[in-house]
Amino acid sequence: MATLELIHVTKRFGKKVVAVDDFSLRVEDGEFLVLLGPSGCGKTTTLRMIAGLEEVTEGRILIDGEDVTDLPPRKRNVSMVFQNYAVWPHMTVYDNIAYPLRLKRVDKKTIDETVREAARMTKIEELLDRYPSQLSGGQQQRVAVARALAVKPKLFLMDEPLSNLDAKLRVATRTELKAIHEKTGATTIFVTHDQSEAMSLADRIVIMRDGKIEQIGTPDDVYHRSASIFVADFIGTPPTNFIDVEVQVRDDQIHLVNPYFDFPLNPENAAKLRDYPKRELILGVRPENIVLVSEDEAIFSTQCLVSEPQGSHQIIAIELDGKIIKIVAPAYPKVRSGETIHLNFKQEAIAFFDKDTGRRIE
Amino acid sequence: MSTRRQWLKILRGAQMMLFYLVVITLVFVIIGPVFFVVSLSFLSAREAYSYPLPLLPALTVRYQLTHGERGYMLSVYDRVEKEYIPVLDTDDLEKMATYMRSRLGTSVTVQDIEAQIARLQQEDPVYFTKRANLLHNYTTFFQITRDAVPSLIRSLQICALTILISLSIGGMAGYAFARYQFAGRDLLKFSALFVRMFPGIAIALPMVIILAKMGFYDRPIGLSLVYAVGNIALTVWITASIFMGIPESLEEAAEVFGATRLQAFLRITLPLALPGLAAAAMYAFLGAWNETVAALILTQFNPTFSVVVYQSLVGATGQINLAAAGGIVMAIPTVTFTYFIRRYIRQMWGGVTL
Amino acid sequence: MTAQRKSAHLGKRITPYLLVIPVFIYYLIFWVQPVLQQVIRSFLDPTTGQLSLESYRLVLTDPDFIPALRNTAIIVVISVTMEFFIALFLALIIKRDFWGASIFLFLAMLPMALPPVAVGAMWKTGLTTNGWLNSLLHYVGFLPEGEKIYWLAGSTWKMLALIIIIDAWQVIPSVMIILLAGLQNIPKELEEAGYVFGGNYFTVLRKITLPLLRPTIQTAVVLRLIAAIQIWLIVIVLVGFSRLPVLVERIVYYHEEVPRLNISPQMAAGYTMIVTVIVSLAALIYLRLSGAFSRREGG
Ligand SMILES: Nc1ncnc2c1ncn2[C@@H]1O[C@H](COP(=O)(O)OP(=O)(O)O)[C@@H](O)[C@H]1O
Ligand SMILES: [Mg+2]
Repeated sequence: MATLELIHVTKRFGKKVVAVDDFSLRVEDGEFLVLLGPSGCGKTTTLRMIAGLEEVTEGRILIDGEDVTDLPPRKRNVSMVFQNYAVWPHMTVYDNIAYPLRLKRVDKKTIDETVREAARMTKIEELLDRYPSQLSGGQQQRVAVARALAVKPKLFLMDEPLSNLDAKLRVATRTELKAIHEKTGATTIFVTHDQSEAMSLADRIVIMRDGKIEQIGTPDDVYHRSASIFVADFIGTPPTNFIDVEVQVRDDQIHLVNPYFDFPLNPENAAKLRDYPKRELILGVRPENIVLVSEDEAIFSTQCLVSEPQGSHQIIAIELDGKIIKIVAPAYPKVRSGETIHLNFKQEAIAFFDKDTGRRIE
Repeated sequence: MSTRRQWLKILRGAQMMLFYLVVITLVFVIIGPVFFVVSLSFLSAREAYSYPLPLLPALTVRYQLTHGERGYMLSVYDRVEKEYIPVLDTDDLEKMATYMRSRLGTSVTVQDIEAQIARLQQEDPVYFTKRANLLHNYTTFFQITRDAVPSLIRSLQICALTILISLSIGGMAGYAFARYQFAGRDLLKFSALFVRMFPGIAIALPMVIILAKMGFYDRPIGLSLVYAVGNIALTVWITASIFMGIPESLEEAAEVFGATRLQAFLRITLPLALPGLAAAAMYAFLGAWNETVAALILTQFNPTFSVVVYQSLVGATGQINLAAAGGIVMAIPTVTFTYFIRRYIRQMWGGVTL
Repeated sequence: MTAQRKSAHLGKRITPYLLVIPVFIYYLIFWVQPVLQQVIRSFLDPTTGQLSLESYRLVLTDPDFIPALRNTAIIVVISVTMEFFIALFLALIIKRDFWGASIFLFLAMLPMALPPVAVGAMWKTGLTTNGWLNSLLHYVGFLPEGEKIYWLAGSTWKMLALIIIIDAWQVIPSVMIILLAGLQNIPKELEEAGYVFGGNYFTVLRKITLPLLRPTIQTAVVLRLIAAIQIWLIVIVLVGFSRLPVLVERIVYYHEEVPRLNISPQMAAGYTMIVTVIVSLAALIYLRLSGAFSRREGG
């Protein structure tokens, strides 16, 4: 297995389009790394540069410390699962898996063993003699994975391999991919725009925006310590709530003030804002960190707009400053629309963001 | 490490240069012959028959005039020999002017020549330069070939009719091919091969009688009916391919919202297919416009433009520079259309294979 | 209700037939009818109107028949092979989408746009001793002063080579565009997967691109094959009738050049039938050999 380093990698299409902008990253041996971001942010381009399918405009790419920036794909010893699978329609499933090995001049017996092993792992042993046109989308996806596994690559690249599957199959396959990774320990770069997929699979997540890295971190990092409004908004369903607040210092305490509430910060949070020069900032609170409390513990009270029971919990929507704020609350007691509720923030889990840069204030 | 990168860069640069070298060579092979015909169409009659043939037409013609045995001796500067060559010795100024116009491609009047002769009093010989009339061959072609303009109009009619017939009949079948499964679908597909298997020239003869019976012989409609045979077959393929490229679900969506199948086709599919169909029409135009052999057999007093060009080439009055001009005129629409068609190659040919 | 539904169903079922019937009627009148007339004529004695195989006997004993067959065969085999490879080469170049590819495509299509008669004339004027080809060679210093190449004189082989090259110049574009469309239709990921999994340009071309292109290749080649067997115009433009007999040139010869000979109608009819049979057989054999009838991938 292998490590991967991208050093100040930039990709421009023509003069104007900057698809990937000064991208630096180190992927450790055996790591499962997810590239996450909205469509068009440059994930595919990054992956294709790693594979060697796209020329790098600036910067360098190292695999196992060796500079592969100018090597053609075949000399990089990586394998890839394409978004539309790219299973060769004129070859049987067996040949699809075997062909890359034949290209590498592996002997016949080893090829046969490897193909069967990969087919067993991906549960497509009965399909080996079929042509791709006789397979369902999910089965083609497995063939693509089996083909990528069989070559025992240094790097395993996957470009939204689950996005063409239906919701149920997607979740099931996700678990299997994770299991396969545990077994093989292959260094994996996995591209997706689905944050829940990223959270459930990744050792680390790289969140991209407009070709740049917005944050790198474990699923916990990006969820609980989102580096920016963009990340806090992108990760989690429902996403983080953002509330405009003013900072006021009264009686030696730092207060967050808003037409709806005015409350003092606890010492840890206050420490973060002690030296903050601006008076206005954005408060970020995840829906589960707004809690229903009794009237005297509340920092503000309002009416419930709608409530959506979810079985294990309920999602309550309120209106604040013209914006919808969502709250995840325990399933009981049931809150009805129009009912007045009393709310407080879990201070240990709130975050502050700069109004201009959108970055987190530490 | 960085030297390796440099080497790779140099290698890639060399590859690139080799690639463009191949491309440029190919371009020369392709347009070289065409270049000579274009150039030929601008040459004067005298230069068109000289060797080596000038690569580019002269913009000006240099003359020398002196007294000759029969009157005045006209010489013209030869670009290859690099000297003045005597070409005409006469006292008939009218003849000399005509000669300078038709053979040497310069617009000269008798007055012009008289003015030069007047100069002979002071200096002998006199030298003078005339601007070459580059379009001389083109104007002459239309002047001396009596049929040129009517035949041009006729050819346009034939093309329009051919397009109309093959695109309507072939287009319907192409649509059926793209959207439905039906008995005879393969037969329709293979008909593009069948109709080409029988030599066209052998069909032309019995067609004379068939068309004569219908009263279409020697008329534009007659030829377009013949041209449409081969064209329909291709049009079926091309239109089928174009319609296949337009998702059926777009039509179905319209049907869901209350359109009939026909309305859905007219309002949704047809507008989307229009550019491709235009390219298909142009493709049909190429065939009908360029065809000469059937036109020779199936016309008598009303030839097509291609026949006129052909005859200017083989006929007794044939001059290669004039024929070249005719050929260039003929190529103008086809080349223009090709420029357009090239963007629709995938749409036209991508859908249907055997 | 059910009756209405039935008629709607029926409507759906007959729509395609309504749409294709005009084509078949058209073929019947303007293709089947003249073809049948010619076929029948080839089996009749023109003077007595009796059934006769005289046309075929005449053709098969014609001293020009074997040379015509041989010349045609040589031209077809070499042209189709060569044109296919050059067209494929051009299509692969254009598919690389380099700077200038679109203009190059236009230029590569140019010969197809020009009228065949004019193209014939273009080469004819080029190949005469004072023609532009010699002029060009003179300008680039290949032909010294006073020396000339006599292109149109010489052996049959030289003529065949010239005809093949000149014909190729004009018809390659029509093969190329079909191949290009096929190439553009191959999802680029299929080839990219080949590169990622260890293939270089040529292995990917051989093992992935060309196999996927096979239906397109069959289409382009069979269309070209059918046309190539029927070559004649360029032959008579360059060398005239009878000097280099080819099959369809013989038909034209008896139709147009010597239509008043006693044997002319029968010769023409006989040659026509023989050409038709040869073309059909060649197409059929090619499609069978290339596996067009037994495609198993099944779309
Ligand atoms: N071949 C290309 N030519 C020009 N622009 C491209 C090309 N490929 C991608 N882009 C642009 O680069 C940006 C990133 O694309 P991509 O990497 O495909 O995004 P993602 O995979 O994250 O959706 C997009 O703005 C896209 O339009
Ligand atoms: Mg993508």
